[in-house]
Amino acid sequence: MSEISTPARMSPLDRLRGALSRVSQAATAGIRVADIDTRLLGMLVALVIIWVGFNIVSGGAFLTARNLWNLSVQSASIAIMATGMVLVIVSRNIDLSVGSLLGFLGYTMAMIQIFWIPDGLGVGLEQPYTWILTVLAGLLLGAVVGGLQGFVTAYGGVPSFIVTLGGLLVWRGLIFSYADGQTLAPMDSTYRLLGGGPTGSIGEWPSWIVGIIGCVVILLSLWFSRRRKRRYGFPMRPIWAEAALAIVLCGAVLGAVWVSNAYPWPANLAAQYAEDHGITPPPGGLIIPTGIAIPVLIMIVVTIVMSYIATRRRFGRNVFAMGGNPEAARLGGINTRRTLMLVFGLMGVLCAVSAAIQTARLNAAVTGLGVQNELDVISAAVIGGTSFSGGIGSIPGAVLGAVVMQSLRSGMLLLHVEAPTQDIVVGIVLVAAVGLDALLRRRRG
Amino acid sequence: MRIPRLAALGAVVTIVLAACTPGSSATSSASAGGSTGGTADCTVAVSWNNYQEERWALRDEPNIKAALEEVGAQYISADAGSSEEQQATDIENLLSQGADVLIILAQNTETILPSVQAAVDQGVPVIGYDRLIESEDALYVSFDNVRVGEMQAEAVLEQVSEGNFVIIKGNGADANSDFLRQGYVNAGVPAEGESSDTITIVGETYTDNWDPALAQTEMEQFLTENDNNVDAVLSENDGMAGGVVAALEAQGLAGQVPVSGQDGDIAALNRVALGTQTVDVWKDARELGRAAGEAAAQLCGNPDIAAVADTTTFDSPGGNTLTSILLDPIAITQDNLDVVLDADWITPEDLCQGVEAGSVAACP
Repeated sequence: MSEISTPARMSPLDRLRGALSRVSQAATAGIRVADIDTRLLGMLVALVIIWVGFNIVSGGAFLTARNLWNLSVQSASIAIMATGMVLVIVSRNIDLSVGSLLGFLGYTMAMIQIFWIPDGLGVGLEQPYTWILTVLAGLLLGAVVGGLQGFVTAYGGVPSFIVTLGGLLVWRGLIFSYADGQTLAPMDSTYRLLGGGPTGSIGEWPSWIVGIIGCVVILLSLWFSRRRKRRYGFPMRPIWAEAALAIVLCGAVLGAVWVSNAYPWPANLAAQYAEDHGITPPPGGLIIPTGIAIPVLIMIVVTIVMSYIATRRRFGRNVFAMGGNPEAARLGGINTRRTLMLVFGLMGVLCAVSAAIQTARLNAAVTGLGVQNELDVISAAVIGGTSFSGGIGSIPGAVLGAVVMQSLRSGMLLLHVEAPTQDIVVGIVLVAAVGLDALLRRRRG
Repeated sequence: MRIPRLAALGAVVTIVLAACTPGSSATSSASAGGSTGGTADCTVAVSWNNYQEERWALRDEPNIKAALEEVGAQYISADAGSSEEQQATDIENLLSQGADVLIILAQNTETILPSVQAAVDQGVPVIGYDRLIESEDALYVSFDNVRVGEMQAEAVLEQVSEGNFVIIKGNGADANSDFLRQGYVNAGVPAEGESSDTITIVGETYTDNWDPALAQTEMEQFLTENDNNVDAVLSENDGMAGGVVAALEAQGLAGQVPVSGQDGDIAALNRVALGTQTVDVWKDARELGRAAGEAAAQLCGNPDIAAVADTTTFDSPGGNTLTSILLDPIAITQDNLDVVLDADWITPEDLCQGVEAGSVAACP
């Protein structure tokens, strides 16, 4: 009370400082009591600052339903690979080959659907099963190639840096053994839906259903986690914190669905749809909500599955144990070599998923597909709090990291910042984010 | 642990062998050409900057070789793998192997100069192949890239002469990006940051590595920013045009907004037939190889580049007046698709895939 009664004697700066420190103390206490992952929260705050900042500078062009929808699709492919890169880095390894591997897998999948299935099997283009055969073959090849790199690393004793550096050259080079490296296009029309676009989205009601399922899952997982803590006598969050967390998380999910539905189909596509389905468009044109794009849905599923594998399955815990202390993990009875090989195999599968999304989105396979993606993927994982010293990393963090990176890129494009300047900004942000993280971690002890 | 280690080694060997499998054998389509003044036991060396790109092996090299074979000259080559330092080393090696004429596809127009000087000092004439070398001692053999830009802009302006234009440029460090942009200005499109009474540039950017996926993202952002009010797109090559068309398709605008390109990519020529790309400026790399080979054959007889037949002068951005052989590109639109068919550049099946029969003359 004393500060309030004596405002005249304090300078405005002191008052501001006092208020800030009280707010930050209260916030810190609140966060501690509510038991929230501060790193994830910090990233969310940074993301909000970036978004609001771009929105102000661009005169309101950033926080539109359409731009946020674009952003979600543009982030998906890097985010998916970043979830795998987290496990690779946690196990004290690195995978430099993901960009080249993505290019190789994407190019192979294009060959399968444009040449091998239509000509090899003699069934022609555009079969209803073309896309699924293509994707399955791609996933399988990704697992084999990734697993091969893991095998050489784990059993051959070659450092993963070297193995995947070799992979970076080999997989890119192998693209040229197909069709002399021509651009392959167009893709199968069903396969193209994997790349998003208004037609490659699930629409209004399915999006709401996904959102509601998401909410139910969040509520259940909070409840189960609380029950588990009670059973083992761990400290629990106060009930108000539990309720607030549930409201915020559910609100975020339903808000995201609302935004995706607030972006209507482009007028031309809607008019075409109305014509094809014999609908008389109302004055002002037919409004079709777009909903969640298929690649974004894939990204969400991959994030959930990978988080589950990383934190709830023995395999995931083994990876973290290996990264924390390889020797102890091995002596503790973990088959570290097999685990490592599987980590790289999983990374290969995720590369195939992203390759399908990128080729479907571009409607073509080009020799430069995925060039330098390894840098974006590693950056996303590291911005998301994955530590190069091993044993520390978060899958949702990596996804957020990918969104942060893509937000910077898309925002700067909206502001007409030239490519070299974009690189400078992204580079500085990368180093600053990791530096800040290290500083905070040291201070916290 | 012995067996897994052996297996790992085996796996490595497998990868290496797989990588060494030859892609395809290049075909030569040499026609009888009149080259004069060649001598036997002349060695012509080519320093490639990055032989891994498809066109050099497939289109350029066989025609250089064919022109040299006609006069009985020998062909040697080296590949620098996109490295300036490696290219300097390559050129030293080629000179010490006894090259009499040097053809250079320069990785970098500036850093190549000491190597060019070294060759000229030894009395070896130099041909700057496809990419500019800023030296008056080198013969510049290329397509006229400013002209390519003019042709792209002319074809697009014929469809839409006013409104909001988007310009997707290639790599900022590549001189060709700016040559093409100069061509747009020559054809009546405003320069960067300016606008005319009829044309407003609502989006313009360089694209790292001419990356099609990046071009798609750029186009999406320009469409978002302008609420789809884009009337024409000048894309500097076919790969990026593919990304642009994919972005337009997602908005239901493909085929309504003119898009340019160059290189004669199979997929791009198909887009021209489909109507989603307006123009593809085609540079027949086989003719370029032929022209360089014939020039090299002449230099075998007389190392003076000024004496080579059919040369003109070219004022370079660096202020040099270069002796050059500049070939004219051809603008391919829906009206003259038969040109690429007749040249066996593309098969009718590839060109007409998905095209409604009879909608264009080349796809009956």
